Amino acid sequence: MHRSHFRLVFGVLVAVASLIVAGAAGGASNKSTAGSMTFGAEQEPPCLNGFTGGCNNTWTSWTAGIALASPLIVKPDFTIKPYMGTAKVTSKKPFTVVVTLNKKAKWSDGKQVSADDLIFTWKTIVDPKFDIAGRSGWDSVSRATKVNAKAVKFVYTTPYAPYKVQFATSVLPKHALEGTDFNTVWDTNYNNKSGQTMASGPFKLQSYTKGQSLVMVRNNSFFGKRPTLDKVTFLFRTNTDTEIQAIRGGEVDAIYPQPQLQLAQLRSQSGLRVQTHAGTTIEHIDINTGAGNSNPLLGQAWFRQAIAYSLDRTGMIKQLYSTLNPGLPTLNNLTYVTAQKGLYVPHFAKYQISNKAKRLAKVAALMKAHNCTKGGDGIYSCGGEKASVRLGTTSGNKLRELAVEILQAQAKDAGIQFRADNQPSSLFFPRISTNKYDLALFAWVGTGDPAGQVDIYGCADDKTADNPNGYGGSNWKGYCKASVTNALKASDAALNPKTRINLVNKADAVMANDVPTIPLYQKPTYFVFKTKLKGLVDNPTLQGPTWNTEAWKAG
Amino acid sequence: MVTYIVRRLLYSIPVLFAASVLIFFSVTAVGDPLAALRQNPLFSKQTIHNIEVRNHLNDSLPTQYVYWLRSAVTDKFGSPLLQPGVKIWQDLERVIPHTLQLVFLAEILALLVGISIGVYSAIRQYSIFDYAATTFSFLGFAMPVFWLALMLQILFTNIFIKWHVRIFYTSGLSSPDPGGGIHFWIDRLQHLAIPAMTLMLLSIAQYSRFMRASMLEVVNSDYVRTARAKGLPERRVTLKHALRNALIPVVTVSALNFGALIGGAVITESIFQLDGMGPYFLGALFSRDAYVVMAWLMVTATAVVAFNLVADVLYGYIDPRIRFD
Repeated sequence: MHRSHFRLVFGVLVAVASLIVAGAAGGASNKSTAGSMTFGAEQEPPCLNGFTGGCNNTWTSWTAGIALASPLIVKPDFTIKPYMGTAKVTSKKPFTVVVTLNKKAKWSDGKQVSADDLIFTWKTIVDPKFDIAGRSGWDSVSRATKVNAKAVKFVYTTPYAPYKVQFATSVLPKHALEGTDFNTVWDTNYNNKSGQTMASGPFKLQSYTKGQSLVMVRNNSFFGKRPTLDKVTFLFRTNTDTEIQAIRGGEVDAIYPQPQLQLAQLRSQSGLRVQTHAGTTIEHIDINTGAGNSNPLLGQAWFRQAIAYSLDRTGMIKQLYSTLNPGLPTLNNLTYVTAQKGLYVPHFAKYQISNKAKRLAKVAALMKAHNCTKGGDGIYSCGGEKASVRLGTTSGNKLRELAVEILQAQAKDAGIQFRADNQPSSLFFPRISTNKYDLALFAWVGTGDPAGQVDIYGCADDKTADNPNGYGGSNWKGYCKASVTNALKASDAALNPKTRINLVNKADAVMANDVPTIPLYQKPTYFVFKTKLKGLVDNPTLQGPTWNTEAWKAG
Repeated sequence: MVTYIVRRLLYSIPVLFAASVLIFFSVTAVGDPLAALRQNPLFSKQTIHNIEVRNHLNDSLPTQYVYWLRSAVTDKFGSPLLQPGVKIWQDLERVIPHTLQLVFLAEILALLVGISIGVYSAIRQYSIFDYAATTFSFLGFAMPVFWLALMLQILFTNIFIKWHVRIFYTSGLSSPDPGGGIHFWIDRLQHLAIPAMTLMLLSIAQYSRFMRASMLEVVNSDYVRTARAKGLPERRVTLKHALRNALIPVVTVSALNFGALIGGAVITESIFQLDGMGPYFLGALFSRDAYVVMAWLMVTATAVVAFNLVADVLYGYIDPRIRFD
């Protein structure tokens, strides 16, 4: 070999060897040490101020958001419990809630989390010049007065039943934020005016490298039990395939991915644990009962019932989730989810007939009662109108596309044609929200609380330029029934929990007969982590997987 | 030469302007950038109104374009629609170097390997090596980038699972604690290696084919025959006389490749979670944020124009017969 060739080959070999040695070392250093872990976050917060519309994202609150504690917290069983404080109704007329903060609660810069902070949080949220994502509840507060250094009395204009959801919102530090432009502050840090990072939760933000990672370190000022871990590093891994390879290869210690068929392979890998639950994202089919649909039959309740009877939702769920989550239940209520014992009443269960012959007989009976006849293609015609409608979903979502195919086949067996009408979400949702569809399969991200349901299923009070249809702001189904609207509106003001549940279920029972929507299932959550990590418990509510980071331990 | 460069730069101004108008109208006409917010029944209507007013979303498209142009010129492309505290230019300053690191690593290695394969294939035409290189290059052209990327990720993950040796990382730009100095750069190389391999494969296939074709044409030309007749060693004939002239088509292709890749190797960067121009563009496109898309476009278009100019200037150095008027 020529000497220069030898030098070149030798140089390449040395470089590769160095990379391998460095890699082996890097691999070792990347493993969880006694006090740290890395979490593959499926989305990156657009910015860190989760109160504002542009940064409001579940991953904002699940990552950096753990620095900011809230008076109450939503537990995995959907109950709302005290966390950094309590919230108690002290008067029904006028509706008054007293929020009391934990005496030990203080900010990481040493100042107390105080009543002033609670009042500042309210004032900031209702300030119209700020781009706050949600003001529900806060905008019903007419005045807030300090009871003592740690307690505030909130007086409402009208009774607000979901007040506990309202106080599961983080508290803002007045001394750090007063006088700042809340729309632009805290985009990349949670610093006070002296540059110290602010936290009241178990961890505080150490660093944020946009596009790459976010590092949270233990907050020694945390009011609760001292967190065990020193550090939690969130690495942004927004591609599901990449995320799966990252946890397989030990580049991250935990992930919380969207349901994907590829996740099945993780169940069989040693050293990994998969927790899965039915979450609060409700997959359903909305039916356009009014203008904008392509078939007037959709305006008839009996025809919508026939559609509901034609579908074996349980069979579809089994086909979709046989490997990922074989026990995923069928959802039979439009508001409450299956885990909410005592609240969930399965009104839509009557449409779930797993026996195919009985299912088809039920559809046939309805069709016959309305003088429908089957054509040569096996599809019914009713009064000259063919039982053929469009069923669309967001293309690119494999599970939803597969669901459409399964439902098409089921409906066809029953003599109803579903014409696939899938589109990318950027085109799909603008169509849905302008009532240009027949059947739309998509999801509502719920909370387990009925607040907001009147907007989805109720009639609006006034027809305005912004709301020309007169339906609830997010009711794109052309569905308007006074009994449903009244029950849902009353539920938002019903302070007695039992009365509230009854009102919501009353509306649900009516809708189960009218079928403006067919509930399908709750999108399952998947929490995958190394078995050596302890204390990680999936919270399928919007509180998310990092709800109890103070209890996490590296084995 | 200077006059030529200045003239070319002046020509590029109307090109960039026309591109900006076209893209702005296309992006803004696609749909409502606030559609996702409007779908959420609990999202504050007041906030939606604030965003519409601040970003002039209810104005006519030409008016919106003028506002964009003003913000591009006076405020370095301004801020994204929903994040008024974020500066687009700061984001670009962050992602461009990441893309440049990947593109330069991949393209320089691809050029070295591709040119070497092309030259050797040409001087050993119809040899086993030549047939193998041809087969490899067709495979390279045919292989979908996303598939190759996933296969490489799985391969290196399985190597780690089996032998507990981390040769390369399968995603990200850096480890949580990469260290400083040389440690940082070794860690960065370990993260960029698989994406670079993915990008390289297609480029190697491309460059080797261009180089082979070009080299075959040159080695049979009169001046090369003269050089041989003068008794020059074959190595000198190939490397000094033939290679230099044969490089011109490869220079064109590589300059265009460099320019296009500055816009981000969208698929590769997204799969490997590299915080570069590709994912930045995709994020903006999905959120239908015209300001961010436009900023990305202007940077990409400028890179394409610049690298075309670089290619033209390089011709003159490679082949002294080329003169600039």
